[in-house]
Amino acid sequence: MADTAQPKPMGAHTSDSASRRDFLTIAAAAVTGVGAAAAIWPFIDSMNAAKDTLAAGAPVDIDISHIQPGQQIVVLWRSRPIFIMNRTEDELKKLQSSEDTSQLRDPDSSVLQQPDYAKNWHRSIKPETLVLVGICTHLGCIPSFMPAPGGDLGPSWPGGYFCPCHGSRYDLAGRVFIGVPAPYNLPVPPYRFVSDTIVRIGENPEGSTFDFNAIEQV
Amino acid sequence: MRKLALLAAGIAALSLGAVASHAQEEVTPPKVNWSFDGPFGTFDRAAAQRGFQVYEEVCSRCHSMNLLHYRDLTGIGYTEEQVKAFASQKQVTDGPNDQGEMFQRPGRPSDKFVAPFPNEQAARAALNGARPPDQSLIIKARPDGPNYVHGILTGYKDPPPAGVKVGEGRYYNEYFPGHQIAMPPPLAGDDVTYADGTKATLDQESRDVVTFLAWAAEPTMEERKYTGAKVLIFLLFMTGLLFGAKRKIWADVH
Amino acid sequence: MAAPAQQNKIVRWIDHRLPIFTFMQHELHDYPTPKNLSYWWNFGSLAGIMLVIMIVSGIFLAMQYTPHVDYAFDSVERIMRDVNYGWLMRYIHMNGASFFFIVTYIHIFRGLYYGSYKTPRELLWMLGVVILLLMMATAFMGYVLPWGQMSFWGATVITNLFSAIPVVGQTIVAWLWGGFAVDNPTLNRFYSLHYLLPFVIVAVVGLHLIALHQHGSNNPLGIDKKGPQDSIPFHPYYTVKDMFGLGVFLIIYAIFVFYMPNLLGDPLNYEPANPLQTPPEIVPEWYFLPFYAMLRSVPNILFIPAKLAGVIAMFSSIFILFFLPWIDSSNVRSARFRPIYKWIFWLLVIDCLVLGYVGAHRPEGWYVVIGRIGTFYYFFHFFLMWLIGKVERPLALPTSISAAVTAKGGGRMAPAASRPMEKP
Repeated sequence: MADTAQPKPMGAHTSDSASRRDFLTIAAAAVTGVGAAAAIWPFIDSMNAAKDTLAAGAPVDIDISHIQPGQQIVVLWRSRPIFIMNRTEDELKKLQSSEDTSQLRDPDSSVLQQPDYAKNWHRSIKPETLVLVGICTHLGCIPSFMPAPGGDLGPSWPGGYFCPCHGSRYDLAGRVFIGVPAPYNLPVPPYRFVSDTIVRIGENPEGSTFDFNAIEQV
Repeated sequence: MRKLALLAAGIAALSLGAVASHAQEEVTPPKVNWSFDGPFGTFDRAAAQRGFQVYEEVCSRCHSMNLLHYRDLTGIGYTEEQVKAFASQKQVTDGPNDQGEMFQRPGRPSDKFVAPFPNEQAARAALNGARPPDQSLIIKARPDGPNYVHGILTGYKDPPPAGVKVGEGRYYNEYFPGHQIAMPPPLAGDDVTYADGTKATLDQESRDVVTFLAWAAEPTMEERKYTGAKVLIFLLFMTGLLFGAKRKIWADVH
Repeated sequence: MAAPAQQNKIVRWIDHRLPIFTFMQHELHDYPTPKNLSYWWNFGSLAGIMLVIMIVSGIFLAMQYTPHVDYAFDSVERIMRDVNYGWLMRYIHMNGASFFFIVTYIHIFRGLYYGSYKTPRELLWMLGVVILLLMMATAFMGYVLPWGQMSFWGATVITNLFSAIPVVGQTIVAWLWGGFAVDNPTLNRFYSLHYLLPFVIVAVVGLHLIALHQHGSNNPLGIDKKGPQDSIPFHPYYTVKDMFGLGVFLIIYAIFVFYMPNLLGDPLNYEPANPLQTPPEIVPEWYFLPFYAMLRSVPNILFIPAKLAGVIAMFSSIFILFFLPWIDSSNVRSARFRPIYKWIFWLLVIDCLVLGYVGAHRPEGWYVVIGRIGTFYYFFHFFLMWLIGKVERPLALPTSISAAVTAKGGGRMAPAASRPMEKP
């Protein structure tokens, strides 16, 4: 059925006006398309973090003066648990012994899981204060704090963190053991000492430009 | 037929007017030229900062500003440092702590503005039963908001006009519906000493605080108008092209 | 078949299994449309686009809104202040409701003027009335969500209307509320239904379009197509015309969204809902004002209390539209050829505007009188439509669309009272 849906006079146009019509039509279609695409952006951007969410992610100041040696507190920063531990002399000594480090996957913290100022044997600014992001680098559970050697985890357990979900283990500097599911050391967040007793989580010390988003695995 | 259509259009316009001004007019406040009026209006930063000073030192005794956070103040030109310093002067309730108790701590930029009263009942108890409305949206919550608030602040008459009896705990105000307002005149002129040295007359303070309140009611207004200009220019261009394309395509039918 | 053979292999593969491309080619590309449609025919597509805009903006708002009486108002303000472009989405959605109703009302009045509801488009018209009802329910519930003073008190007034139903009224109202008054359960269920109904509208719009494509669009002359010379393919003619109309519409819409976003709203809704303080005037949004006027105009009628009579009048004013194809007894579709009906049509338009004006004011003094006259006249109009169809002598209809278009007014047939409408 020869449906005369096609407008007849199409061929009646001179080639000049036909090309003008095409140009105009194409220009109109292109501009409309650009407009439609640009109109989508605000909706997508609205799903990005809102101003109050970003503000809530601002650094938090924690008073560490009441943490006893060998004790840990857990605080929240950017909705994540942060372990702050007061390490004893013995615990620090153990961190440097080869008996401990030989069991570790990444004893020198070569993988980017910590800021430059925590890339040392104690993975912190001051040796006695440990600051870690308490999220297992395997699948995201919160490891349990088990600083006492031996016990349920066997005689060779030097003390550290044990993740109950799949059995990953970390020492008291957050370094991951060989032979467990977790691939990386526990992350160290940006932080600095505002004073001897106040730690600010979320802010680098002067001169450091560590970006927490750059680490390998939270 | 044309006349009927025009009549219909006229009623439509009237109705729009009726819809746009729901308030039963008592006395309409005088119209002031505000810096934020019109499609190109902006918030005069200096006026907004002076107005914030007036709010801080006078109005915040009774009126909360629950929808503003201290970090929002960068919107009227304060720096992050100034905002941090200002917030830390406030005492904010936080908690519970490890003992289960609520405690006070210095404010942070992410905190909401601290309210003068913890709840409505406390406000009424302290103010003879009156409830000062929150100021975050007052400019948008009243018809012709900016002129209305300015009228209220400058419209007190003491003594009231002849023959008008003012109730107990009320004050005569020219532009308040019913003329009997529970708020005592908050400003009289020279209530604050402006940081930038401007003379703090009653009219000046009122205009400044209205500018601040207008900003507080809609901090994104400038972004809205600016985006609107870009969108409209684009739409005019796009519609022009489409009109041309339509004419071209329809040329053979007409 | 008019469509050129699909050249692309992938297109053919899909089309062979799910003929979506053939479908689009037939319904949106080749689809024969009367060549004489005026710009009054743009408003259907504009309504469809507004539906899409409302759904998209609504979905993104729903990501940030909290449907609880303690948090709803503040969550909307959070959208306005803290969410990136939240103010834009909110104003688009808020003004979009008004503009959706504007284009829909114009679309309806176009149908009334040109007889688009007449055979064989009765079901098309009735589906449209269903869409209107769904829109009104959706808009009513949506307005409650910000939980401002007008949200709360509007909800209270309108849900209380159902108590006018004898015997079961109060039970129904308590069931609607989910409690003893409008409160959190009410807000939550309104949120759920407000999210649901637009998709029901989409489905009914689908049926509406299927019904439309069955016999094609009406046209300003109101006469059927006689042959292919009367029509042109939908693409490119009406696609480009619809796009141009959309551009003009968006300019007006953008002026409101960006420069006058609160003009059509009530300032009092920027005050959080207070169940202990009734506002001096409870006014619905402008698109409900004529119905609000009817609701409050009707006095006690015989044994029916005014409240119930008002409710009946208000709902009847829409239900009567369902029967319009059978009320109007004229054989001629377009008012262009109906000299008496033309006047009556404009009187109806004025009546609706007057009722809208009345609805914005307190029912006192002159407003009551005018409201009653206006309400009475609205229903009288339908009696007039029936009467006029019987006594009117329509003008002579043109022989065909293309004859009218090309001859510019020529080619008229002599006898006026003959049957110009072809029955299928």
